[in-house]
Formats: sequence, structure tokens, C-alpha cells
Amino acid sequence: MIGRRGLLVAATLFVLLLPRDATSFPIDGDQAVLPAGTELNEDARDVPREILHSEYRGDRTSYLVGLGDLAFNSPAILGDVARRANISCGTCHVNGASNAKLFVPGMSTRPGNFDTTGPLFNPKADNHVLDPIRIPSLRGARYLAPYGHDGRMASLRDFVRNVVVNEFAGPEPSTATLDALVAYIQEIDFLPNQKLGARGRLNESANEAERRGEALFSKPFPHDPNLSCAVCHQPAGAFVDHQQHDVGSNGLFKTPTLLNANFNAPYFHDGRYDDFGQVVDHFDRAFGLVLSAQDRADLIAYLRAVGDGRQPYDRDSVSVRFKEISTFSLLLAQAIGMRDREAIELAVDTLGGELRDLAEWFPDHRNPAVTGALTERRLARAALKDVVISLRRIAIAVAAGDFEAANIEYRTYYDLTFSRAMPLLRGTEPWSLFNPALREAHDAQRRQMLRTPAQAQR
Amino acid sequence: MNAVEKRISGRNGAVGAHLPYARSWRAAMLGVIAATALAGNAGATPLEASAESYRRYLMEDIGQSLKGTRALRERLVVADLDGAKRAWIEARVGWERSEVFTSGFVPELDEQIDAWPNASHGFHGIEVELFGANRTDVGEETDALIAHLADLHAQIENIPLAPQRLLNGVARLAFEVGGNKADGGESRLSGTSLNDMQSNVDGIELAYRVIFSDAIEASDPQLAGAAHTTIERMKATVRISDLRSLDSEKLRADSEELVALLQSAAPKIGLSKPTLEEGSQ
Repeated sequence: MIGRRGLLVAATLFVLLLPRDATSFPIDGDQAVLPAGTELNEDARDVPREILHSEYRGDRTSYLVGLGDLAFNSPAILGDVARRANISCGTCHVNGASNAKLFVPGMSTRPGNFDTTGPLFNPKADNHVLDPIRIPSLRGARYLAPYGHDGRMASLRDFVRNVVVNEFAGPEPSTATLDALVAYIQEIDFLPNQKLGARGRLNESANEAERRGEALFSKPFPHDPNLSCAVCHQPAGAFVDHQQHDVGSNGLFKTPTLLNANFNAPYFHDGRYDDFGQVVDHFDRAFGLVLSAQDRADLIAYLRAVGDGRQPYDRDSVSVRFKEISTFSLLLAQAIGMRDREAIELAVDTLGGELRDLAEWFPDHRNPAVTGALTERRLARAALKDVVISLRRIAIAVAAGDFEAANIEYRTYYDLTFSRAMPLLRGTEPWSLFNPALREAHDAQRRQMLRTPAQAQR
Repeated sequence: MNAVEKRISGRNGAVGAHLPYARSWRAAMLGVIAATALAGNAGATPLEASAESYRRYLMEDIGQSLKGTRALRERLVVADLDGAKRAWIEARVGWERSEVFTSGFVPELDEQIDAWPNASHGFHGIEVELFGANRTDVGEETDALIAHLADLHAQIENIPLAPQRLLNGVARLAFEVGGNKADGGESRLSGTSLNDMQSNVDGIELAYRVIFSDAIEASDPQLAGAAHTTIERMKATVRISDLRSLDSEKLRADSEELVALLQSAAPKIGLSKPTLEEGSQ
């Protein structure tokens, strides 16, 4: 926000500094699109692992799912503010999971929640109350209808459209885009959990505490024998009952799944609880469960066993980045073959943005935090930039209706990406910001640089 | 008439100031080429002669930056915070316009002068204290900056200006201007990232017109027209008052299109495809 003082100074500057095209600017202004203090957690070193159902079965991902993945990660399908802030669906739902660290001042009350009816992205949908809700993981979404924290929408398609059009002020998505988004979201699997067997029961690998917890989970509540944890969180049904309930958290909310919940904090519809301990204490209070310390510990152990998942995170690396680049590249090739202009544009936009971002992980001579292998870093950067320009050539050819030229350029793009850029990046990775030590030095100095005047004077 | 046109057609907007760009520009160029030839560089190719004629603008821009930095030093001495901020902003203009040259030709000085994003020295090191902390005790850093800019100014007088390296510089900067500025950009603390971008685009236009425009026009008028139009679009896109209203997708597309055009133009004017990172060829 530009303060009044900023505007005043800007006005003065306007008069004083006119050697060239005149535009005013705030002297102390913060010109970022999102409010100062925003944390999108985009620099996280560990990124949630995504398993698509087709990949899990060993099949090739369909064009529709690939296109949905692309749209999901493209700011272009959302509205003006989101686009300018470079925000896509994937910003909050990183690789289809959640984003526990995301925090936007004025839109969040704690990391991991976000007000979808706030003023920032679509003033028309602003309800003038700061009522953020937890950013949910989309793993297993196809099993988890109805949609929304209070289950307000029966159809995932309606829900997704509402997010795009009303929450983020995007243009009405085309039928193709909406179909693709829904197809992609329905492909996002739960991470496999080796502790669970048939009907959501713990298998033989479970320990004593977890087994005691499992028994407690199905034990009738003392004051209401018709109820138990398992009545709503049905183990054989992805730990949900597709219903809304009042569990003493100020309203009716949909039963959330407990699968992979270890990685879905914070908990409850508004993200009020940090961990399973607080969640168990809430039910203990709300339903008069009179849990002993042992009961509490056993229930937590059980929740942790149910909420587990194999290899929940990947360490961000050149390989991880190229996995996505490779998925989107395949989609681009198919889109050129099908002359699908909308998909080609989306691919050029999203891939180009990601490749540009990747180049910044290989700093040039201006970054004093990174030393060594400067020539190699430059080669890596140059190679990535050439890839970006090759993508642009594809877009230019397609805009001119020349799909043959686009096809020929795609071969150049493919070679530049996988035969030139990828090996260069892999070889230079130890001197890039993917190296944790370099990254730490870089981050520390960057934080120092970006502190606000108030922070600096403290 | 924009800043570059003003500079090219004479400080006082004399002859040619109101002619369409191409004509005024050619008139000026003919003069420059003639002057260069008379100065004894008759053996140079026309492109080398144009590259040589860019030196004057470079000297002027770095001179402007040096002057601004000295003004900053004076403001610091009397602890005039707002005056110092104004001087810092003014000193950036010529510097950012010269980025076509600085990043590739003098990378060590570039690091000393414009280290980013982890700067404790140079423009951004000073920016951190001046704008980030409202402090004026950056005399030492400013003295160092003055020394580096003066060194650069002196070096520019004699440094060989190879057209290939200048083309690399134009293409590299064109690419960079299209980068993501959603986080507030390079000069975030002073809120002048948009000014940086405007100066960058001015610098691209200046170098393109002075050095390459005629040669490309002679070999492929259509390509020259496309490059000119793309630069005009970039200028229009950054001609806004607030970075937050920047249409970054459009700018990115144009920046990449300009690079693609320069890549296509290079062999037609006897140069190699420009590298987008100096020192990576």
C-alpha cells in the first residue's frame, strides 16, 4: 500500500526527476502485488510428492489429465490480481497437497489458512469478514465429496469453477479447461500407507499403542453410545462419512479424511489446531470423553499411523523440476499435434515461467553469496533461456497458424531442454541454490535485504 | 518523443525532433557514421562504426550515474535523507540504461556496483540502509560506488565495443526485462523497480537503434519492422505508474519475442546468434 507520505514524496519527485518518460513512484512504497509479509512458501526445500492414479498403475497419464495439471499450475486461468502475483491453484495446493506455511496478511489468521471471500483477489466476493479456512490437501479428492469445508457443493466441477471464477476472479473457464482440471484433481491419489490393510484396519506392522488407539477410535462415547470417532471417520470409507456435523467448532463442517493427515496440518475447518494432540483434546472436551493420559497418547499414535504416507516429500532438485518439465513437454507435443491452441498457449506460459524461475536458481555474477563454477552457472542459465525462447518461437508459429513450423521448433525445444539444459543443470547443481549451504547463505542475506524499515530499526 | 528519441535527435530537440523516428534516426546516424569515418576508422565495417558511435551514449549514461552518486554523497554529508534518496534514484537511471553493456563487458565492476539480491555494497547495499532502514551512514559504501563508477567511466573510453557482445547484451537485457516482478522486483525497497525496467527498455531501444537498426533494416526490412514494433510495445507496457498494474504476461511475451527476432537477425548482419549469458559461449 502506498502511504500518504509516500504519495506526497512521489508528487515531489515527479517534479524533480523528469529527465525521461515521467511516471510517479512511491519513495518507500512496496510495489509487490501481495501485501508485505506474504509467505507463499515457494522456496520450500521439500515439496509434497504427487502421485497420480495413472502413474501409480504404471499407465501413461492422459492428455486430459496432463492439460489439467498444466492449468492447475498456470496463473493464466485465474484473475488479474492472481496473475500479476504469479499465483496458480498449485500455489496453495502444492503438487495437489496443501501449503501449511502459506500466509497472506489480511487474508490469513495463521499459516495454512486463507480467506476465500476476502478483498484481495475478487472484491465482488468480499464478505467483509476475515473468515479464513484451512487450505485442504486434494489427495484422494475423488473419494471426498461433497466439496468445500462445509460440503456446500456436491459436484467437484461446480466447486472448481467457483474457485476459479468467484474466489479468484478468473474468466469463465472453457469446457475443455474445466474438464481437464477436474480430471487432474480426480487423479491425485493418497500416498500409500503401509500400516493400513483392508477396510482401513491397521495391519500386523502396527504397534501396541496404535492398536489400543484403534480400539478407542471405535469405542462408543460415554454420553452418546451411538457415537464414536469411527462413526463419522469410517475406516472402510477413506475415514469420512460424506456428512456435515457440528463438533463444537462453531458450525456444521464436513468430516475431513484422516488419510495422509500427518501432512495436512493445521487442523479443523479454520486451521485452528496445530497437531493431533490439540484435536484429541477438543473432542475430549466437546464430547466428554474423559480420556486418560494413556488413552490420549494411544489415540494420537493411532491417528499418526492412519495419517502416514510413504515418502511424503521430495527434496527440491533439478531432477524434481525436470520431472514436471517433462510432463508438460509431453503435453505440449500432443497439443501441437492436435492443434489445440489453448493448450499450447497454456504450456508456453506455464513452462516458460517455470524455466525462467529455474534459471534464477543458478545465480549469475551479481550474487555475492554464490561463488565457484561461474562459467558453468552461466552456461546453465544461457541454456535455460534458450529453451524459453524456443518455447516462444512455438507460440509465435502457432499464433501465425503455422503448426508445421511449431512442430519443427518443438524438436529444437526438446533437444535444447533434455540434451543441453538438463545435463548442464545437473552438473552445476552443487553450485546452485539447490545446494542447502549456498541456499542458506543466500536466504540469510536476502532476508537481511528485504527487512522493512521497522524491522531494521529494531 | 521519448527520452531516447530526444537524446538521439539532439539535446534541444533540434533538427529531426519532430520527424518520424526512422527518418530522424537515419539523419542522425549518417552524421555519426560520417564523423566516425572522418575520425580515422574508415577500415571499420558499418556495424563496427555504429557500435563505436554507441560509446558516446554509454559515456553519457555512466557519467549521469556518476554525477548522481556524487550528489548522493553530498546529501549524505548533511544527513539529508530525502535528498539522498532522490539522488540515489536519479543515479540509477543512467546505470540501468547501460545494462546492455555493463553485465557482459565488465562483470566484476557490475558485481561491485549492482550486486543483487544479497548486497552489502553497491547500489542495493546502499538502498538497504537508505530506504530499508532510513539511515544516512552509508558514506563509505557510496565512496566505493563513486570509485567504481569513475573507474567504469574511464574504462569505457577505450574498451573495444564488439558488435557481437553488444548484441548479446541487448538480447540478455531484453530477456531479463520479461522476468517475474511479482515480488516487487530488483529495487523493491526503494519502490523503483519499475523505473529500472523503464530505463532498461530505454537502454535496449537506444542500443538497438544506434547499433543494429540500420543494418537489420538493410538486410531484412520486415524483421527490422517487427523488432521496432516489439520494442514500442515493451515501452508502452512499462509506461505505467505502478509496478502492481504491470501486465507481466504481455511484457514477458514481448521480451521473448524480441530475443527471438534478434536471434533471427544476427546471421543476417554477419553476427552469431546472441548468447543470453555473457561468458557462456
